[in-house]
Amino acid sequence: MTRIRIILIALGIAALVAAPIGQGNYIIYTLTSWLLFSISAMGLNLTLGYAGQVSLAQAGFMGIGAYVTALLTLAGVPWIAAALISITSCFAVGLLLGWPALRVQHHFLAFVTLAFNTLLFLVLRNEEEITGGSFGLVGMPRPSVFGIATDSNLNFYYFALACFLVSAFVMWWILRSPWGRAFKALRENPIRAESLGLKIRRQTLLAFAIGSAFGGLAGALQSPLVQFIEPGSFALIHSLKLLLMVVVGGAGFFFGPMLGAAVVILLPELLRFTEGYYLIIYSALVIVLMVFSPQGLIGLGQKLWNQFRPRHETRRDMKKGFQL
Amino acid sequence: MQNRVRTREEGNTMFRTLTASAATALALIAMPALAELKIGSIVELSGPGAAAGTNFRDGVRMGFEEINAAGGILGEQVAVTEYDSQTDPQVSRAMVQKAIDDGVVAITGTVFSSSTVVNMLVAKQAGIPQFTGSEAPSITAMNNPYIFRTAFGSQKGVPKMAKYMADEMGVKKVAVVWANTEFGKGGHESFLKEAEAHGFEIVADLPTEQAQTDFSADVVKLKGIEADAAFVYLTEEESARFLREARKQGVTLPLVGETTLIGHKVIELAGDAANGAMGHVGLTPDANIPAMTEMVEKFKAKFNYTPDHNAIKGYTAAYTIKCVAEMVGEADSQAIADKMHGLTLTVAECPGVLMDVSWDETGEMSRESFFVEVQDGKQVVKAILPPN
Repeated sequence: MTRIRIILIALGIAALVAAPIGQGNYIIYTLTSWLLFSISAMGLNLTLGYAGQVSLAQAGFMGIGAYVTALLTLAGVPWIAAALISITSCFAVGLLLGWPALRVQHHFLAFVTLAFNTLLFLVLRNEEEITGGSFGLVGMPRPSVFGIATDSNLNFYYFALACFLVSAFVMWWILRSPWGRAFKALRENPIRAESLGLKIRRQTLLAFAIGSAFGGLAGALQSPLVQFIEPGSFALIHSLKLLLMVVVGGAGFFFGPMLGAAVVILLPELLRFTEGYYLIIYSALVIVLMVFSPQGLIGLGQKLWNQFRPRHETRRDMKKGFQL
Repeated sequence: MQNRVRTREEGNTMFRTLTASAATALALIAMPALAELKIGSIVELSGPGAAAGTNFRDGVRMGFEEINAAGGILGEQVAVTEYDSQTDPQVSRAMVQKAIDDGVVAITGTVFSSSTVVNMLVAKQAGIPQFTGSEAPSITAMNNPYIFRTAFGSQKGVPKMAKYMADEMGVKKVAVVWANTEFGKGGHESFLKEAEAHGFEIVADLPTEQAQTDFSADVVKLKGIEADAAFVYLTEEESARFLREARKQGVTLPLVGETTLIGHKVIELAGDAANGAMGHVGLTPDANIPAMTEMVEKFKAKFNYTPDHNAIKGYTAAYTIKCVAEMVGEADSQAIADKMHGLTLTVAECPGVLMDVSWDETGEMSRESFFVEVQDGKQVVKAILPPN
């Protein structure tokens, strides 16, 4: 990691710390939503961008995390324990679902995960004795950290920021580890990776389960943030939204999902002045982006950067990001 | 390391300067705006709730435009800001935060109960009264002193209707057709309770599936029994299919239901087959009340479509805010919320509410409602049911 990169990251963290100061509740809340979706999209990026598998169940995993956390914290269990259980259960469900599902890959995996997400939605809605059915669960307490309550939106933002930084660090560490390199290897050329002794199925399964666990953490944060959850918040459309975040930001780039989440959450807000047309404009922008830069915004940025500096050669493995 | 520390400090100073200048700018802008009274209209303008939300939004908009044209509230003009909840509770919560940051005195909306439940929590913390279009029973059962309905909860409809069936139609034996969903189960349970209270004999109990397309078997069963009436509790599209099948097989039994059996959407989908169906509706644009007819005509002229009950809810919410603010003499959130509990607003003192209405301590409301029959593709009011 170069010196300039460390300085840039330190600057970025400082900006995140300073961002909500002096802002209204609305901005702070929206920023917190962004952090939360970034965590989830980071997980999906591991599955999609690094291991090259299309998952349409990320919102479902957020749902598992959110419901587990909600039920446990409503029963008086501290948030941290509930969150750990959420993450573990998402990891376990990811393994269980991935085991048979990863026998099929790409589009077929997309169908299997799509079915899983729909099934989960139905279970959440129909098991009303446990999940509250379509009325959902309400009034989850916000956690206290070292005796400091996070009831105010500003405190909760810093709490979510801490979770975000920890997960970003964990993700960075995974990607740098031999595992992460193995993920990339099998995305680029599975046959070659296998011939070098990598167990493709085990690696993909791990990537899928770890990605799901990130979804679980995001869900564990969503429960106390919104203080209300219902099955509709974890339906298929939200999985597609998360997929859009990763693809728009740039699948296979570390900062792609964060940028993508910012675009998906903030752009509709910025375009709101156009009233009824904003969804149309927004979707048109996404289509144009996908046509001109399938590598997402970061890919587009790199293209432009390379125009400026023709000597800078792009790494081949970065260029071949996943395309939908 | 030193480099990094300095950068952060610089960033902070710059940020402080920025915030300070932004605050000054805001303060300057805010000065003339103080003369305005702000209302936040938080509704479903996109997503599955868009049809209901747009109606509600237009009702609120028309109400406040009329109020402004007549001189505003306590001499102040009303500025309505509209926020789109996207029928998503998480977004909806953000919008309530935004409205409260913007300094609204009261909030109108949302229509879908999942969003309302979230909004209530936030509005309660800020002490802002909220006039919701939701009819889910749970909303007024949460001990929230800032929530007020604009239409009574759905738990009040079935008892009113059962009473009419017993007293006016002389029903003794009744068949029940219901959707086996959360919505249907609620209606089914409360009807069975009422049936017991009024001494109805249940001669057939027919559950149906959600999104069922073929009702022929159910209708055949219904034809084979002797009953005075059938209670039909299905969602709109299923109701329309059921009515078509019943007409095809020549069912002569009176079919009685709720808004979901005789609503405008059902009449549109079922066509002639809807004629003869009866039911209870909380609000109807076809009610023979001059004020309501006038409101509906104005609405049609302004927005080019026929308003449904959600538009009327929004319209009356606007006038409720106006009348209550003028009663307490100030546009203060707390004062309005306090006054609302136990309040009765009559049309004489507040014509904009269209019908006499009262709220209890939980924010639940009572109002007269209508028993209607569909004739020639229109709801015709057969009786006005007293509030309960």
